[in-house]
Amino acid sequence: MKTLVVIVRDREQQYEALRSSLGALLEIPSVKMIVLDHEIEMHEAYKDNMEFLDEMEGERYSNNKANVEKYGFKYANIEEIGEMLKDADIVIPF
Amino acid sequence: MAKLGIMVRDTKYLEYVINTAKAAHTKGIQVEIFFTGKGVLLTQEPNFKELVDVANLYVCDVSFRANGLEGKEVPGVGFKQFVTQARNAEMIEDCDRYLVF
Amino acid sequence: MKILHVLKSEPDKTVNKFIDIISGEDKDIFVLYDTEVDWEKFVDEVFEHDKVICWW
Repeated sequence: MKTLVVIVRDREQQYEALRSSLGALLEIPSVKMIVLDHEIEMHEAYKDNMEFLDEMEGERYSNNKANVEKYGFKYANIEEIGEMLKDADIVIPF
Repeated sequence: MAKLGIMVRDTKYLEYVINTAKAAHTKGIQVEIFFTGKGVLLTQEPNFKELVDVANLYVCDVSFRANGLEGKEVPGVGFKQFVTQARNAEMIEDCDRYLVF
Repeated sequence: MKILHVLKSEPDKTVNKFIDIISGEDKDIFVLYDTEVDWEKFVDEVFEHDKVICWW
């Protein structure tokens, strides 16, 4: 079973990264999306897709506590994120 | 036949994509490329056509429209090659190696 | 598992940190920027490794 991590630090493509994470869940059971450093600029389409990701049992993490507190991401520090990248079969940096 | 999947999400690395795809094709490797996000803007670059004979090309339809390219021609990409993120998911699953540019 | 780190641009502190966590001392890195690249060798390296990460 393949595992995938999408790691996002390009603010301009945060929504694309979410769409890719969601799409990947159609084939890959374990998908983690990690938002690195920046706070999400929330909008309706992002919120809808984020909820869909949750329903599809994708996981989302961030090292930015605002994302944890405002949008329900799980917190992970840089070392923990590094371990997730190490464990994944496929890594997509966005 | 070995398969190489390439996701193109940035506009900075078209030369890398072309060179990688050509080298893989020379070695008899099947190359599949999925353009998404800002990467779809590369479909309008003059040297994009260098990919036509060396790879199967797919373009995220949502990204293509979101970047204001609706109605623009893309060399080597027919109607059926404008796809959803699901095609990228299949590519991840099917390909032996997967690169991101 | 053999992991290949591909550098498309100069790595910053974060990328170097991740590479250290993932591969420790024993890291395989292929540089694509500011150098004359042998693209066939690059493709060979990609297929000789089990996993490839193309950093930003």
